[in-house]
Amino acid sequence: MTAVLSVHDLIVSYPSRDRNRPPIRAVNGVTLNIQPGEALGLVGESGCGKSSLANSIVGLVQPSSGSILVREQEIVGADRTTLRAMRAHVQMVFQDPATSLNPRMRIGTAIGEPLLVRGLARGAALHDRVLALLDEVGLRRDQADMLPHQLSGGQRQRVVIARALALRPALLVCDEPVSALDVSVRAQILNLLVELQARNGMASLFVSHDLAVVRHVCDRVAVMYLGEIVELAPAATLYATPRHPYTAALLAAVPEPDPILQRSKVRVPLAGEIPSPANPPSGCRFHTRCPKAISICAVTPPALRHIADTEIACHLA
Amino acid sequence: MSTVLTVEGLSLSIAGASVVDDVSFAVSAGEVLALVGESGCGKSLTASAIMRLLPSSVRQTSGRITLAGQEISALPERAMRALRGQQMSMIFQEPQAALDPLSTVGKQIAETLRLPWQQARPTVLRMLEEVGISDPARRVTEYPFELSGGMCQRIMIASALISRPQLLLADEPTTALDVTIQAQILDLLRRLALERGTAVVLITHDMGVVADIADRVAVMYAGRIAEIGTTTEVFAQPRHPYTKLLLTSIPRLSDQPKSELAVIPGLVPTPKQFGPGCRFNGRCPNADARCAKSVPPLETLGTDHATACWWTGRVT
Repeated sequence: MTAVLSVHDLIVSYPSRDRNRPPIRAVNGVTLNIQPGEALGLVGESGCGKSSLANSIVGLVQPSSGSILVREQEIVGADRTTLRAMRAHVQMVFQDPATSLNPRMRIGTAIGEPLLVRGLARGAALHDRVLALLDEVGLRRDQADMLPHQLSGGQRQRVVIARALALRPALLVCDEPVSALDVSVRAQILNLLVELQARNGMASLFVSHDLAVVRHVCDRVAVMYLGEIVELAPAATLYATPRHPYTAALLAAVPEPDPILQRSKVRVPLAGEIPSPANPPSGCRFHTRCPKAISICAVTPPALRHIADTEIACHLA
Repeated sequence: MSTVLTVEGLSLSIAGASVVDDVSFAVSAGEVLALVGESGCGKSLTASAIMRLLPSSVRQTSGRITLAGQEISALPERAMRALRGQQMSMIFQEPQAALDPLSTVGKQIAETLRLPWQQARPTVLRMLEEVGISDPARRVTEYPFELSGGMCQRIMIASALISRPQLLLADEPTTALDVTIQAQILDLLRRLALERGTAVVLITHDMGVVADIADRVAVMYAGRIAEIGTTTEVFAQPRHPYTKLLLTSIPRLSDQPKSELAVIPGLVPTPKQFGPGCRFNGRCPNADARCAKSVPPLETLGTDHATACWWTGRVT
């Protein structure tokens, strides 16, 4: 099987505010693949570069170097025609459905717009496709005539998902799709995303800071820290036996909705805060906060290597 | 333990629509009570009503609020102002937005003490150490934009607690923070509440946060308390259908990957849609005619557990 998405040694950097300083590397040499139908989770704390990576995959951010292949087509440095063709295969769902819909555009029009713009359907055929998409994401057909403000947050996110599905993309990139939603609505949207993956055989990249949510949706999970992948493993393996100290600390920090379990948990003390990507630590970027760091960690950056079904960057693994 | 805060029969309305209805609870010294619920359930308005910082569109239609034995609901604004920051403090979700961007953090903390900076400085430095800020002598000279979100929340906690208030209201204090920082801040709040005997009302939507630090929990739905009790009991034996469904609809680390989550059908009603009965009846799997017609009273189930459901005792 050829990968739907194949990212190789990707670097995304932004210019420093101070022109005399070197650019800030938000993504520092990331390599990953997504197979057809597979859901890959991308987790990490704010500032780890997960959104920069997602944005460069959909073409919203121009990487400085590296390669992004969408169905074997290079998109880094590609011309407009190639990019436009690529975007039909990769669609995105953003965090806040309130700001990713045009407040003055009716729901049906918004969902049908990708089809109209690409000349794939019009008139009655377009109308039928829109109604089918509404059914698919669990909205009522009469809601096509409503405006975004008439819907709840969860319903708006369903609209955004329907719009993303309109072109039958091979890859759906979701950046924190349920973070802005209420707890009781979150479950509805997560179930919908899992169902759509299974029904359409669509691959997805699921960016989130919430490890419990990612576990629910993803087959494999990549953990990022300061622009680099520190661990990438099948979900079952990663959650059962996290190998990287950062993954272990992240998992331990998630408060579990079970007071007895939560209070008996051994807390992995993760001192301090994530350092600035403008001035990343030497050696392993995590060594300044790592409870297990030894002398080599401050000097040599660990390479990402394979251990069983896990890719891991740690001297101690 | 002595009771610090009592709220009795608090009701609030916006333009005639009831948004908080007959809410009652008490918090003791050193205790953390969580008010948990989805957006629009009235948890933040309840906190604002205690501080008497309600937006002008919200009217308090009834309710008695007592702080350390003194009824404060009828106090004049002048007297309230003397209490805020001294006897009762509040911290918010976005620490960076709650701090003054044009003042150094040291001076902001000192302001609560109502002392000139030079006199307040030693107390401020001690307080910063207590909230885990390293190198406080340098930090006090910095501005909020120079600090991270987690550090700003520590500053907020320092300025809220420096005058040793009896009550701390924390409105989603860790929602804007990363999980590893959230764990640090929750540990800090728990430790300070115990050491200083501060009563804490923690407002959150996150059942994980409740399980982590709350001694007791009040589950709110559409402006009413659905269930209240000790955290261990409410989680182990939820009695209200809303609490039960809420607990099963949360993704957990221990779940099977891609397993289906339980779903609460429908949406939280808006205040205009509230009927005369139980406000959860439109989404409740047990609801019958009585639920739609009359409000279930909060019924005590044990020493410290109560729930408002007509089905209590009939369905387990």
